[in-house]
Amino acid sequence: MYYVADVKETDCAKYNCKQCVLFCPEPNTLMYHDSKHVAWVNYSRCKGCAICVYVCSDLLKRNCIEMVMMTAGE
Amino acid sequence: MGLEYVRISPGFEKYMPKDYVDLVQYGQFGRDIDVQQLGQFKELVEEHPMCAGCFMAYFIRVFYAALPKPEDTIVLGTAGCARLALSQAAVPFIYGNYGDTNAVASGLKRALSIRFPDKEKDVVVIAGDGGLIDIGFGMTMHSWFRREKFTTIMVDNEVYGNTGGQESGMSPKGVQLKMAPKGKQFEKINAVELAKTAGCVYVAKLSPTNPKRIAKTVKRAILAARHFGPTFIHAYTSCNIEYSIPTEKVLEDARKREKQDFGFYEWMTDEVKEFFEEMERKPEEVKA
Ligand SMILES: Cc1ncc(C[n+]2csc(CCOP(=O)(O)OP(=O)(O)O)c2C)c(N)n1
Ligand code: SF4
Ligand code: SF4
Ligand code: SF4
Ligand SMILES: [Mg+2]
Repeated sequence: MYYVADVKETDCAKYNCKQCVLFCPEPNTLMYHDSKHVAWVNYSRCKGCAICVYVCSDLLKRNCIEMVMMTAGE
Repeated sequence: MGLEYVRISPGFEKYMPKDYVDLVQYGQFGRDIDVQQLGQFKELVEEHPMCAGCFMAYFIRVFYAALPKPEDTIVLGTAGCARLALSQAAVPFIYGNYGDTNAVASGLKRALSIRFPDKEKDVVVIAGDGGLIDIGFGMTMHSWFRREKFTTIMVDNEVYGNTGGQESGMSPKGVQLKMAPKGKQFEKINAVELAKTAGCVYVAKLSPTNPKRIAKTVKRAILAARHFGPTFIHAYTSCNIEYSIPTEKVLEDARKREKQDFGFYEWMTDEVKEFFEEMERKPEEVKA
């Protein structure tokens, strides 16, 4: 089990935003879908720091990312 | 490297690792990438073992996205946390012995200008506060006094992070660390003023709260070094481990320090200022 960020796609799609993507410390991890205009997480690269949650919830008050427990292989 | 070394010979794509193919097809080589496009192209840095939430790792991520010419850049690092990521990027990396980075970079930059007189090769040192301002102090200063044309970036986490929490000259006065239990007795060294006095032509100080500004600063430091002389960036890059900052509060801490003692600061010689003004007037001609 490990802790990763997960974007609530339908919520995120309401905003034309990619702020969290610009603050993730990890490369090629928190990505942005060009046509759907939503952020998405490459789970196997996410280190679970929750900086993206701080950006989306604390700074922007949008609450579109949550931290979830994931089992290896999921 | 040069662009011709980066491209995959026709027919060999299917034998190359996917991450490499992605780099060539969707990456930065030969392209002008804006840092706002992060998350929409294949980045130069790969997975690395720096800690979760490390803002030094974040700074390094933005640094690579900002390189004006990654295929003609050489990065120099040394012992300390930064090299854990610097060594995992698709940009040639040289490991200088601890403290020696700026001496190695001096020789390298001179050799490159002899070997490739008609090409621009950018050399960038990225090292810690311990590596540059404590143990490498003499080498750092003398590379500046000699006006060597490369960029030095100090990723200042105000501690020896990689070896478990000794104080450095850059730790703030009074701070208690695992291996400085009495609290630091002396003031934080003013690296920015030292750089100006020693002959840097472009000097900046920042806290990584604004990717666009980090990228602009990195580009400016590299271009000014290419054409004029030594350049220096002092970046606050917290160590959440040694300073016990919960990872989700790392950006909040960077914003707090920006207000406190890491407000954005930029200084350059008149010559460099004119160069950038000219560049902004006609960007295509002087383009990176
Ligand atoms: C010549 C030499 N002396 C000492 C060391 C041990 N050493 C490795 S990393 C380090 C300190 C790193 O601190 P800093 O440069 O601030 O980088 P950080 O890990 O904090 O990013 C030291 C003393 C070494 N590798 N080589
Ligand atoms: S910060 Fe929130 S709303 Fe903005 S892109 Fe990220 S998940 Fe979507
Ligand atoms: S939890 Fe951290 S590593 Fe994972 S996507 Fe969010 S910012 Fe990136
Ligand atoms: S020890 Fe500190 S500086 Fe080093 S990788 Fe971990 S958080 Fe970053
Ligand atoms: Mg340090």
